[in-house]
Amino acid sequence: MIQLHNLSRTYREGQCKREALRSVSLTVARGEVVALLGRSGSGKSTLLNLIGGIDLPSTGEVIIDSQVLNRMSEYERTLFRRRRVGFIYQFFNLIPTLTVLENVQLPLELNFLDVERADQLLDKVGLTDYRDTYPDRLSGGEQQRVAIARALVHEPTVLLADEPTGNLDAESGRLVLGLLGDLVRVQGTTLVVVTHSRKVAELADRIFVLDDGRLTDRIDEVIW
Amino acid sequence: MSSLSRASLRYLWRHPWQLVLAVLGIALGVAVVVSVDLTNESVRRAFDLSVQAVAGEASHQIIGGPSGLDETLYTQLRVELGMRDSAPLIDIYGKARASTLHVVGIDPLAEIPFRGRFVKQQDAAVRTLLSTPGTVLMDASTARRLDLSVDDRFKITVGGHAHEIQLVGLFGSHDSNPAALDSLVITDIATVQAISNQPGRLSRIDLKLRNDNGTAAVLKRIHSILQPGARVVDAESRSHALLQMTRAFRTNLTAMSLLALVVGMFLIYNTVTFAVLQRRGLIASLRLLGVTRGQVFRLILGETLLLGLIGSVLGLLIGFTLAQGLVHLVTRTVNDHYFVLTVGELVIMPWPLLKGLALGVVATLLAALLPAVEAARTEPHAALQRSGIEVRARSLVPRLAMTGLALTLGALVLLVLPSRSLLLGFAVLFLMILGLTLMSPLVVSWLTHAVLPLAGRLFGIQTRLALGGVVASLSRTGVAIAALMLAVATTVGVGVMVDSFRSTVEQWLSSTLRADLYVSAPGLSTIRPEMALDMAVLERVREVPGVAAISTGSQIMVESDGRLIELFALGLGHSILPRYPLKAGDPGQVWPAFLANRGVLISEPLAWHQRLTIGDLIPIHTDTGIRAFPVLGIYYDYSSEQGEVLMQRSLYEQHFEDHAVSALGLYLSPDADLQRVIELVRDATLDTQYLMVRSNRTVRETSLAIFDRTFAVTNVLRLLAVIVAFIGILSAFMALQLERVRELGVLRATGFTPGQVTGMVTAQTGFMGFTAGLLAIPTGLVLAEILIEVINRRSFGWSMKTVVSADVFLQALALALVAAILAGLYPGWRMAHTPTARALRQE
Ligand SMILES: Nc1ncnc2c1ncn2[C@@H]1O[C@H](COP(=O)(O)OP(=O)(O)OP(=O)(O)O)[C@@H](O)[C@H]1O
Ligand SMILES: [Mg+2]
Repeated sequence: MIQLHNLSRTYREGQCKREALRSVSLTVARGEVVALLGRSGSGKSTLLNLIGGIDLPSTGEVIIDSQVLNRMSEYERTLFRRRRVGFIYQFFNLIPTLTVLENVQLPLELNFLDVERADQLLDKVGLTDYRDTYPDRLSGGEQQRVAIARALVHEPTVLLADEPTGNLDAESGRLVLGLLGDLVRVQGTTLVVVTHSRKVAELADRIFVLDDGRLTDRIDEVIW
Repeated sequence: MSSLSRASLRYLWRHPWQLVLAVLGIALGVAVVVSVDLTNESVRRAFDLSVQAVAGEASHQIIGGPSGLDETLYTQLRVELGMRDSAPLIDIYGKARASTLHVVGIDPLAEIPFRGRFVKQQDAAVRTLLSTPGTVLMDASTARRLDLSVDDRFKITVGGHAHEIQLVGLFGSHDSNPAALDSLVITDIATVQAISNQPGRLSRIDLKLRNDNGTAAVLKRIHSILQPGARVVDAESRSHALLQMTRAFRTNLTAMSLLALVVGMFLIYNTVTFAVLQRRGLIASLRLLGVTRGQVFRLILGETLLLGLIGSVLGLLIGFTLAQGLVHLVTRTVNDHYFVLTVGELVIMPWPLLKGLALGVVATLLAALLPAVEAARTEPHAALQRSGIEVRARSLVPRLAMTGLALTLGALVLLVLPSRSLLLGFAVLFLMILGLTLMSPLVVSWLTHAVLPLAGRLFGIQTRLALGGVVASLSRTGVAIAALMLAVATTVGVGVMVDSFRSTVEQWLSSTLRADLYVSAPGLSTIRPEMALDMAVLERVREVPGVAAISTGSQIMVESDGRLIELFALGLGHSILPRYPLKAGDPGQVWPAFLANRGVLISEPLAWHQRLTIGDLIPIHTDTGIRAFPVLGIYYDYSSEQGEVLMQRSLYEQHFEDHAVSALGLYLSPDADLQRVIELVRDATLDTQYLMVRSNRTVRETSLAIFDRTFAVTNVLRLLAVIVAFIGILSAFMALQLERVRELGVLRATGFTPGQVTGMVTAQTGFMGFTAGLLAIPTGLVLAEILIEVINRRSFGWSMKTVVSADVFLQALALALVAAILAGLYPGWRMAHTPTARALRQE
């Protein structure tokens, strides 16, 4: 379960202050899929970073599975992220010097889990044939499928996806999305997905919109 | 192996040139240190061996004044005191078949307790030594080298006299240290006395005293029969005093080698920084996955450790090869200036190797520390942002400059401390270097901003892009420029120092060498006239037409305050006035007092080392015992590091039994023809001994040639520092351009031709080289001043006038520019020829 209380995030650039998030509160139940919409610069990535514990709020609290992230040390947050959170990004962020299989094994290894599971996940995303290939040989859609496998292989409780199909053509986007939806539902993972795409949003149980740092659920404001 | 280390190692493997350059940089840095260390140790070892071979197991030695001991002392010792454990010895150096031999005369019958190995199993040969004059023994490998077999006769030259001697036996080298016996010739005392023309003299008498309560009493009894000038010394402290002479010289070599390592460290820092920066995206992705800061830190350090190990091991190999060349250069220098080393072999000892290995690894880790911390600080969301690190690096620049300023000020504070410590001097040197280097990125950034608008207007957008790139990636360009700057500054500093030294010596030579011709017997040292001239020589030369006046000189080693120093006895002919340039003392008062034998003059280094000034007394071990002489004045002298005492001949003869003269200075009448007089002198002395008759100019040239030889090692080290820096900027530029693959790809897509891209890269590297050269000039001058005024003065006590020629500056600029452009060529070419599509696809 994700609980956000009165989250604000202010960026300071010299004298200039920019409020990327203004007093955002939200609760997402375990296993729920939530889509986050909003114009460019409205604070979507900022919010995702706060949930994942890779950034800290200026004020407010981030609580995941009753652990208060913003009170943890950097080290604790890292370990928390390692065990509980998975990330997927628009640019796939695969490790170029590890093979496809090794990329998927990495989270298991970091968590001292059995690396066997990596093969199952690769099979599920349909990339078993590419297991010993380096990522730069794969197409964008294939790379994103590897990223999904890697993000879910250690069964995190929260999966955060920032425009996972943003860099893909319609066809690959559909494929990636289908996989994501299926896997998340099967594993019971909570998914927060940032998107500009109506297709992605349709996958969600609930849809929220960020408008200049404020969270609303009025979808009609969004320009698709 | 874990996936983490696999990811890191594969990265290195995918950038082979970067890997090779980094390893090479470490290797060269380590190689320089190791080679200098091995060389120093070898020289020291050679020295120990030379001493050890003849010192045997003596605990004490009786030594005399400069002319040695009278052999009757030995008889007294045995007969009156009944000292069985004593052995007489006389040793000289001679030349045979182009090799220097250490000829040692012993009494075989007294030897067993001391140097038993020479006489054991050699009964027949030893009996021949005693019964037949002019017979010698040597060790088998020396004989092989000289191409001699038993019963062969050969010529040995001592002080211009050739003597025929016969090899009658070989002593085996089942001894633990065969090298100790190299070049050693054993014979009996009478033979050495004969060939060195020292009848009745001994160099020393070895004693073996048990270390118990009785010793003091025995020593007391020995003292009661000693002739004036003779004394008993501890065998160990004696050899220590000799070795002490080369200390400053060896320290300076070590410092030079450390400088090369520092340059190497910059290279390592550079490489690791690149490796980190290029992987910031990757590291951020790892951090997203939950890799902790500690893990990232260890990953980078671990990877660097591996590089450090490989580089250091390679460095040991290169260093070993290098040392073989260095040891010859250094041995020659030691022979020129200090004492005769018969052994010039490189000795491999574990200690310098281990030290080199440790130093290489530690230096690598130290250099990697900052980039590793930087890597560990990578925020996970940096995976999503590009320019984060660059922004931080730029904000780091002023802070670095402040640190640099603080270090420089610290160096200045240390500088004004009233200290004579050489170590502190080196601290000043290194702090100053580091301080100035840290300030350089800020200066580069200022400089670039200053020329940017102008360059843009003059040369167009391409140049703007090129220069803009320097500032935009200052975290890397700054380091590359700093490393190159440091290396070039080092050559400028050392270059100015050597130039200044040379010109000072040149001036000094022309004001000190006053005679038209110099006559001496060939010795082993090219500088010091140490061999006695035959009495007949002086008389014959006096008769040569054209010779108006003669001065005589005689140079010996004496002991003063536990140090070995040189003493020069100057005999002035009529109408010649001494004109040594004085550092302290009024010539109008000093020289009359000197001529009236009211005291002695001392050289500048001696005044420095013994802290003496005018009016002080200097104690000297003479043949009549320790005498204190008033110091009348201090003169400039660059011939001897340990220092020299100048004494008038007549005063010298009152205190020393030595009547030999080792050099003559001939003053010609105004109408005499130099060449003609040289021939006449040669003819007149044809049947006496082989002589060197050299004109004033030849002596000057020879002296300068030796000077240049002394600094040959320095030049080798200087060159190596530049090579290391070159590798540094090569790798820096390669990495830099690799970073910009995408940017350049965009330019190519926009319509830049490959030629334009190459031009841009060259403009950038050229600008960086130029900047480095420019910064190197003031830094180099500061370095030179510290070397001249602090390091040199504290090591040797010499004053030098700083001489700066425009050449040095031009060389610095050219060196930096050429190195930078060369280093930019390959990356430029590669960038220009990377297919645009591939360049765009990267990242
Ligand atoms: N590191 C930063 N420093 C300063 N300002 C920042 C930083 N990161 C984000 N911002 C600002 O915060 C606001 C929100 O940014 P954010 O990246 O969350 O937007 P977004 O909704 O993800 O936009 P997009 O859809 O374009 O990705 C923007 O105005 C952005 O400029
Ligand atoms: Mg975003």
